[in-house]
Amino acid sequence: MEKHATATDEELVNQVRSGDKEIYAELVRRYEPKLLRYASSLLNDREIAMDAVQDTFIKAYVNLNGFNSKRRFSSWIYRILHNEAMNLLKKHHREVKFPEGFDAADPNHFEVELSRKETIKMVHKCLDKIPIKYAEPVALFYLEDKSYEEISDILRIPAGTVGVRINRAKKAMRMTCQEMK
Amino acid sequence: MPRNEVDLTREVMEKIRAGEVKMRSRWYFVGGSAAMLVGVIAALVLAVFAVSLISFSLRTHGPMGSFRLQQILASFPWWAPILAIVGLGLGIWLLRRYDFSYKRNFSYLVAVALVAIILAGVAIDYLGLDDIWLKRGPMRQYMQQFGAGMGRGNNMGGRNGMGPGGVSGTTPR
Repeated sequence: MEKHATATDEELVNQVRSGDKEIYAELVRRYEPKLLRYASSLLNDREIAMDAVQDTFIKAYVNLNGFNSKRRFSSWIYRILHNEAMNLLKKHHREVKFPEGFDAADPNHFEVELSRKETIKMVHKCLDKIPIKYAEPVALFYLEDKSYEEISDILRIPAGTVGVRINRAKKAMRMTCQEMK
Repeated sequence: MPRNEVDLTREVMEKIRAGEVKMRSRWYFVGGSAAMLVGVIAALVLAVFAVSLISFSLRTHGPMGSFRLQQILASFPWWAPILAIVGLGLGIWLLRRYDFSYKRNFSYLVAVALVAIILAGVAIDYLGLDDIWLKRGPMRQYMQQFGAGMGRGNNMGGRNGMGPGGVSGTTPR
């Protein structure tokens, strides 16, 4: 597998599509920790997250010929995991609402800006206290280091909406985290 | 026993090696894309057709049409606007689900599509291009019945109406 270490994801996909199934193991190895971390942050259950990630890799393999190698493999596989996670959350009826009295549009709510490091700490602690619609872009931006453009591709929402959701999520998390102290 | 991350790679690869999981052929996706394209085009054609029919229906009631509301309502092809809405909805759903249209302002895209459909429908009716529907295509039978009911059809001649010189008409084509 050493010889594949320098190949891009998209090059590996093309090799798998050409018939070399074993190369898919390299893609699984590359993405397993990232996808598992992301799924665990959304689903709050390591076992369910592992099932979601396994199903993601299987669905990605089955549909590999449908992947457009001019696009990013990373966004594509995160998108599959997003769909899996959404299905599982619906199945387990997990619905979190904004805290009582929270007005996301109110600019007076928690004016203090946190550093990125502090925000990441807050995300680890409070991500499961906000609605999934807001938790997802925050997890992708702060925990997975994805750009707005990539998050837009994964969640299929405009980049501007990504920014709005992240800001609202941060405000909601600050409020929730403060209440928890 | 709790699973670990090494198991996950092994489990996935074992299923692939054993042939339990197979890659779909390229043709499956080519067929899917073609079906989607046909679906979107059909939805748009249906929407344009419905608008041209509505425009025709409203126009044939003449200058005193507003005083004959009951008559218009009674003969109005209600299925046409429903079909237009369903067609447009289907087209939008297909685009949202499979395309990267989210990168653009979606409400702007919908507004442009609606204006284009309405303009195309009205233009087709006023230019008489909808006579094609009378002669061929899946809507021929309905259009002939509808045209006959409204004083227009294959056996009724082409376009009839009131002009400055009196009643005008065309010979059957």
